[in-house]
Amino acid sequence: MISSHAKDSIERIFHKAAQARLLLDSGDVCEIVAIPQGVADAMSEGNVVVLTISSIVFRLLLILHFDEDASTREYFAKDAANGAFQEIFSEIANLCCGAMNQELLQYFPDLGMSTPYVLSARCVPHLSELKPDYLSSYAITINQAVRIAATVCVCAHQPVDFVADVSAIEESCGELELF
Amino acid sequence: MIEQYCVAALIGSAVTAGLALLVHKVRSSKAMLRHDSATEDRINTLTQDHAHQSGLIDQREQEKQELESLNLQLREDLAAQSELLDEVRMSLKTAVQDKDQWAYQAKQIAGEALRLKSLAATFERWHEQMNSLMAQNRDMHEKNQELSSIVRHVVIVSLNASIEAARAGSAGRGFAVVASEVRTLAARSEELSKSYRDSLHRNDLTTTTTFQDIQAGGKMISASLSSVEALANQFQSKLH
Repeated sequence: MISSHAKDSIERIFHKAAQARLLLDSGDVCEIVAIPQGVADAMSEGNVVVLTISSIVFRLLLILHFDEDASTREYFAKDAANGAFQEIFSEIANLCCGAMNQELLQYFPDLGMSTPYVLSARCVPHLSELKPDYLSSYAITINQAVRIAATVCVCAHQPVDFVADVSAIEESCGELELF
Repeated sequence: MIEQYCVAALIGSAVTAGLALLVHKVRSSKAMLRHDSATEDRINTLTQDHAHQSGLIDQREQEKQELESLNLQLREDLAAQSELLDEVRMSLKTAVQDKDQWAYQAKQIAGEALRLKSLAATFERWHEQMNSLMAQNRDMHEKNQELSSIVRHVVIVSLNASIEAARAGSAGRGFAVVASEVRTLAARSEELSKSYRDSLHRNDLTTTTTFQDIQAGGKMISASLSSVEALANQFQSKLH
């Protein structure tokens, strides 16, 4: 249902969005490595932020797995109050998904994006219930200290085939969607 | 002599008169000839003029016929043009009516698109219902955790009971069987609790993703309706 070109394109779009939105400082170093789905499913501790991009032909889920450990909290919510971490990380996930949405809009004119929702990481192994046509997980390391994970899940209702050109230099910071 | 003179004079006069008459006749003949020649030239000239005028008359006649024919054709063309003009007028009138109707329909489409955008409120309502469902799920998670905690406590109690039964020796055999049965039931309850927890997590995921799909789809529809509204307004403004 999803062509290999489309899968590569989705992966490139995710990489670009993650590099652009998950890093808080331009000097930060981000390493994104693909991991087997079994490894991602085994990460039962912590929570995930779930966001959905819907179109007529597919829906795409971006799931960012995070632990509220000291290094993660220090990086993403340095000056924030304790209870605000999930809200701040949800906003960052929202920006990351928004960047993917912006890229996908070039190829699919009718798109809509949900607001983020925080779930237990134990929900991730049940993604197979959605019968995804594309499921890919990544380990993301920022400055060799902050470790989060991401899963991109696409369920297609019609054949999806496109080739994304993500080489264009981003001109703006994207649209901040309020939630 | 005189008679001779008289005869001679008469003869001379007669000769002179004859000569004069002859000269006169010759002259008259010459004059007549000249006059005839001039007349003939005149006749020739007049004949040529007549032929030329006849040619001109024929030409004028032909031109007249051509003009009449052209006039007839022009009349026919005028009639056809008049008919065409009437048709164009009718078409213009119809086009103006159509334009008004299109403008009205464009206004209606824009109005409908604007009205349908209020569907976003419906999608938001569904999203709120999702929050309500997820709150119920969280409540079930907490109750399940409480149940799991109770089951773990029952396992410990059953283990203690087994230990106490062993201490009691033969008197405690029956109690040991009961304690073992309680431990088995606690283990089954624990399995059930884990399974229930998994079901709740699956339910969380499917509920969240389904409602997010509805929410995102709602935004997609709202954006499309905004485009339709903008296009209808543009079309309407162009018609006016």
